[in-house]
Amino acid sequence: MSKGIKVALAGNPNVGKTTLLNHAAKTNLKVGNWAGVTVEKKEGYLNYKGYEIHFIDLPGVYTLEPISEDEWIAYNFIAEEKPDVIVNVIETTNAERDLLLTTELLEFGIPMIIALNMSDEASRMGIEVDAKHTSELLDVRVVRTNGRNGDGVQELLDKIIECADQPTSPKKIMYSEQVEASLAALQDIDPNGAPDKRALLARLTDGNGENLEKQKLEKFFKKDIKSVIKDERYAFAHGFYNEVFRRKKNGARDITDRIDKVVLHPIFGFIIFLFVIFMLFKISFDFSTPFMDWTEGLINNLFAPLVLSLLSNVGAGKWLPEFFSQAIVGGVGFVITFVPLIGMIYFLLAILEMSGYMPRIAFIMDRFMHKLGLHGKGMIPLLLGFGCNVPAVMATRTLENKRDKLLVMAMIPFMSCPARLVVFSFFAVLFFVHPAVIIFGLYILGIAIGLLTAFFLRKTAYRGSLSHFVMELPPYRIPRLRTVLQIVWVQVKSFLYRAGTVIFAASVVIWILLNTPPNIKNQSDSAAAYVGKAITPVLAPIGIKDWRISTSLIPAFLAREIVLSSMGTIYSVDIQNKNTDFHFLPELENQLKQLGLATRDGFESLVTPGLQSMQIEEGNQGLRNVIRSSFTAASALSFMIFLLLYTSCLATVAVMAREGGKKFAFFFLAYSFAIAWSVAFIVYHIGMLI
Amino acid sequence: MVSLKEIFSKTDDKGSVTKETGRLSEGKKTLKELKVGETAQIVGFTKQSETVQKVEAMGLRPGKKIRIMQKLGRGILVKTSNSRIVITSDVAKNIEVK
Repeated sequence: MSKGIKVALAGNPNVGKTTLLNHAAKTNLKVGNWAGVTVEKKEGYLNYKGYEIHFIDLPGVYTLEPISEDEWIAYNFIAEEKPDVIVNVIETTNAERDLLLTTELLEFGIPMIIALNMSDEASRMGIEVDAKHTSELLDVRVVRTNGRNGDGVQELLDKIIECADQPTSPKKIMYSEQVEASLAALQDIDPNGAPDKRALLARLTDGNGENLEKQKLEKFFKKDIKSVIKDERYAFAHGFYNEVFRRKKNGARDITDRIDKVVLHPIFGFIIFLFVIFMLFKISFDFSTPFMDWTEGLINNLFAPLVLSLLSNVGAGKWLPEFFSQAIVGGVGFVITFVPLIGMIYFLLAILEMSGYMPRIAFIMDRFMHKLGLHGKGMIPLLLGFGCNVPAVMATRTLENKRDKLLVMAMIPFMSCPARLVVFSFFAVLFFVHPAVIIFGLYILGIAIGLLTAFFLRKTAYRGSLSHFVMELPPYRIPRLRTVLQIVWVQVKSFLYRAGTVIFAASVVIWILLNTPPNIKNQSDSAAAYVGKAITPVLAPIGIKDWRISTSLIPAFLAREIVLSSMGTIYSVDIQNKNTDFHFLPELENQLKQLGLATRDGFESLVTPGLQSMQIEEGNQGLRNVIRSSFTAASALSFMIFLLLYTSCLATVAVMAREGGKKFAFFFLAYSFAIAWSVAFIVYHIGMLI
Repeated sequence: MVSLKEIFSKTDDKGSVTKETGRLSEGKKTLKELKVGETAQIVGFTKQSETVQKVEAMGLRPGKKIRIMQKLGRGILVKTSNSRIVITSDVAKNIEVK
């Protein structure tokens, strides 16, 4: 049996704890470059030299005098769960600030390792640390690490094992003579022997009424006891910094200030922001379109015929090939074609986050957000919402004020995510001459409804003054391609996982319902049609009169993109299977050639200005043609609006319930349905007039 | 080699100077009044609050030299040592500088 070691990673926000964990445990965790991205407890396991090391990545905090939620999480973990080893990660370039937390961590008496992270940046800036001296002074182990390339991680792991084998309590900091004397006095009167220093300190500060030592100290220092202790900790950190850190005069100039001169310029900064957002959308759409087309071809021209020909070779009956082409290719396969788009959006958002630009957006946009009664920091969850609403809702935890938090949370679901884009790009291309304009319009509509919701809430439920903000801007860093790709892979994996589970299950259920009772002549006599017809009266006023569409909306509450896979399953029943000649090798060769072309097109699209993807395509799919026959332009638009605004996503509703309470989530769901229905109704009826 | 005790006595950190009066001492100004590019030294806080505690923990401490890097709306970007901290003017007006 291997020995387990529980290791807590503690440090200020944005010092690279999670990146170090990624190097150590090789787990794929989310890494960001803005203060407070690690709002959740993240864990990683590693078997190393016969030990099972269990890492817990604590939220980044500046102090263990807990006020905010993050700080409480970190404090409670260390105080109550008592890890075997604390790894205190320090951003070497910012050590003076980081050492306050170190000072507080020392008092827990848990064996500690100080990881001097970003050591490369530090040496470039001419900052030197006397690691040996640090180790001797505090009785802790010290290791230099570099989160960017993983240098020092091996040494860190070795030191963790050393720590677990020969645990040594670090030295506790010494307070001023007066405080130490009071602590000694408290210890003397304790009948139960010697409690640790932290307990004594707690007794000194918390003691109310008959606390002579407290009164004595407050009288001496002329301030309250908590300030005395706090100030002395700061003083210690400051003195310690001067003792072991040296700063050479001729270190390289920091490039961040020079970049910020332009990026945070009152005018250019805003122009750059608009440009960045434009590029975010342009690259995600234009670059991924050729790859989406390629994926579609791969599934429909290579994978599907291959399986079908195999099935007919083994003499499968009638229903198995039918099930395969309708439920699997029509349902799951269709959704998979959107993987390139989703991957690209996450790729770009990860770059924004890791480069350090994301928190700057909060600073630039606060001017405007503030006018709308919102918090600049709220901009980050809103932007993340364009990637996926679920992490966006979780990111609202960085907002200190409950009111700001709920306001932003009520806006996030209106930020259109790739799952909705999947549906939009399908319908917009089918029914409109300028699909890009329609899609852009839908994004704007979502934002407008979000703002209106916030405005409405501010006038009613969430009145009150606007909270101030305090936020750190990290230095600019060039994101590591490997780490960015890791993040993208995590997201794509979860999308594929959903395709393989929830979407697959939904497709199968719908297919079964479509074929129940068995041997029906007409699809409209099936169980699926029965269910769809039952809810059609609710949706008919907004132009959704076809049972096939209302049926596909039901499972879409699990996730919006299911609406397409369901339609794919339902409609593909109507599509004739084309029985063309299929030869595996030539087709494989063709697909590889197509991939080359797609890559060329993708890169070409990057150098052409303007958004150009989503121009009308040939109706290359039977599905497109049949769907075209059951919608009009007006009902298609109304359908898209309904899907945009209605929070048709179980995961989002669940995370809203967790973060904002069940009542909040339920009301919001009802509200979003009402607003989606109303806007769709208006648009549909205006559309009918035109 | 110094001991931990000596480190403490050698420090020049003055600790937070809080004036509960809510008023500035004469001849002093607040961080809010500084212009972009100006440097100053933090003297103390005119009001204690959780936000002030957080700002202190982030590195804006009495005695620290600061430089105003940018001002956008109510936001002020302050640089101290190697950190860049954005605070809003309602926080900055409680920070006394010289």
